[in-house]
Amino acid sequence: MTARGQRWASLVALALAFAGLYARVLTAPPLGGFAPPQTAARAESRAAPRYEAQLLPNSTAASVHSATAAEISGGRLRAFWYGGSREGASDVAIYTSVYSLRQKDWSPERAVVTREFVQRHLRRSVRKLGNPVAGRDSKGRLCLYFVSVSVGGWAGSAVNLMVSEDEGETWSPPRRLIASPFFNISTLVKGAPLLFSDGGVGLPVYHELIGKFGELLRLDAEGHAIGKTRLSWGQSSLQPVIVPRSEKEAVGFMRYSGDPPNRILIVRSGDGGVHWSRPEKTALPNPNAAIASVLLSDGALLLALNNAEEDREDLSLALSTDFGNTWRTARRLEGGSGPAPAPVPEYSYPWVMQDRDGDVHVLYTWGRSRIKHVRFNRAWLEGRP
Amino acid sequence: MSANAILGLLGCGLLGLAGLATVIRLRRLPLRARYAVMLAAALAVFVPIGDLSIAAWVRGVTGDLSAATLVLAGAACIAQVTGRALIGNRDKRALCRLLALAAAFLYPFALGWTPFDPYALGFGSVEFVTALLLVTLAAWSARLNLVVLVVVVAALAFLAGAYESRNLWDYLVDPFASFYALAWLLAGVRLPNSVSLSRNSRQAD
Repeated sequence: MTARGQRWASLVALALAFAGLYARVLTAPPLGGFAPPQTAARAESRAAPRYEAQLLPNSTAASVHSATAAEISGGRLRAFWYGGSREGASDVAIYTSVYSLRQKDWSPERAVVTREFVQRHLRRSVRKLGNPVAGRDSKGRLCLYFVSVSVGGWAGSAVNLMVSEDEGETWSPPRRLIASPFFNISTLVKGAPLLFSDGGVGLPVYHELIGKFGELLRLDAEGHAIGKTRLSWGQSSLQPVIVPRSEKEAVGFMRYSGDPPNRILIVRSGDGGVHWSRPEKTALPNPNAAIASVLLSDGALLLALNNAEEDREDLSLALSTDFGNTWRTARRLEGGSGPAPAPVPEYSYPWVMQDRDGDVHVLYTWGRSRIKHVRFNRAWLEGRP
Repeated sequence: MSANAILGLLGCGLLGLAGLATVIRLRRLPLRARYAVMLAAALAVFVPIGDLSIAAWVRGVTGDLSAATLVLAGAACIAQVTGRALIGNRDKRALCRLLALAAAFLYPFALGWTPFDPYALGFGSVEFVTALLLVTLAAWSARLNLVVLVVVVAALAFLAGAYESRNLWDYLVDPFASFYALAWLLAGVRLPNSVSLSRNSRQAD
């Protein structure tokens, strides 16, 4: 081909490439707002207070952390957490166990994700595993998002996704989510995923490389990252949890790792998660620790938090009836004159959810050696006799 | 194995081969020895040792590589094997300048410096595509063919869903290309009249 021919051929290739790019961008469907929250049964106004607590099975791991759970068919919950010889060790695996809401017991745990399994399927080196997060996509499939690290510490994390069509008995091979341009590292999960009305999934994520900040990652129906919105920036906010209450409106909370006073951060969106307010400190303390939140069926907002500025020895529940403007501490789950303390008095990384019958479940790390599950109803939360 | 994984591994393997060929100065060997070394290196890079190949280890660290890195790595491999540089100095300087600018725009903000996140533009922004079109048309009119090639390869790979990423930035630029571009430009500033990282390409300038 002559030089002139090559020149025009390159122009044609350029035109075709950009025609494709414009077609992709201009024909993209409009982004949907938040899907309506799943409605649980409203608590009976005269129900007696009910509270139960138990430790989840753990037959092998010296250290466990970061529990997550989803309600599955047959009146059951399926929980996940990671465990191994210590946090960050190469033998850390993600375990699962199933809880029967009727029989009130947990099945023996089994490893569902190991480092070797992930490495083999991702075709990438994997050094360790971290936080899992469970949720459902718009097709109703159970999704497990989890952190893996190839190089370095948690700042070198990436997020992976596995999908189950049978409520967690079997899983698709893991797939890497691409969420950062810098070697795709430093993306982690802790907060529960949410659904968008267009069939997409919103996954709260955070970054820990140089900056510490939160984002809401938007996934398409197949689980590919197709957009994201920044929830915060700088070096002091992480582990966002997002709670929508309508198609447009949501509130988000973040762990705070900056200068005192140490407070939980709050952000709000009024346009379906497209824009978020500047993060502000709430009146609620935060000892640089994870939090969890859920919108209860009666419209109250429930927050599980370490109710201190310096340590994780007090784990409490706070309620807000005005969608996060004001709070009152409703119950203390751990610390003070509560239940017998763990050998290491650290209670952290709560996960909170409400089942279809209206009972609330909180799972959290108990002394770094076990995962604890507490189940209660609204009457107990209100402290009614 | 998925097509995404195959393409990702091929890219990382290519980078490994380019690195090896450059470090050992492959073109100083006899021609047959060059082919033999590259063949042996390709086997070493792509054939799994245990669960993973060397390419998979590289991919674990780097992620999938951009069109800029692949074009530069491919050109380096060809230059070392054939002894003939494909990329002219003017072309390379223009690409490196654009890569350095893109990196300066992308990485500090993407790492959380401000509320603005340029990486989000790569998921589907008319403004971003238009800016890229203008830059590419300017490069085409200035006969900077390397820039046009990188953008066209990146755009086609993005449209085809070659990698797991759905973000156009990931197909255009990566930290490897950015660091290389910066190092190449700095070497050119420090040694304006001497042979720099582009020793081979200057022959074709």
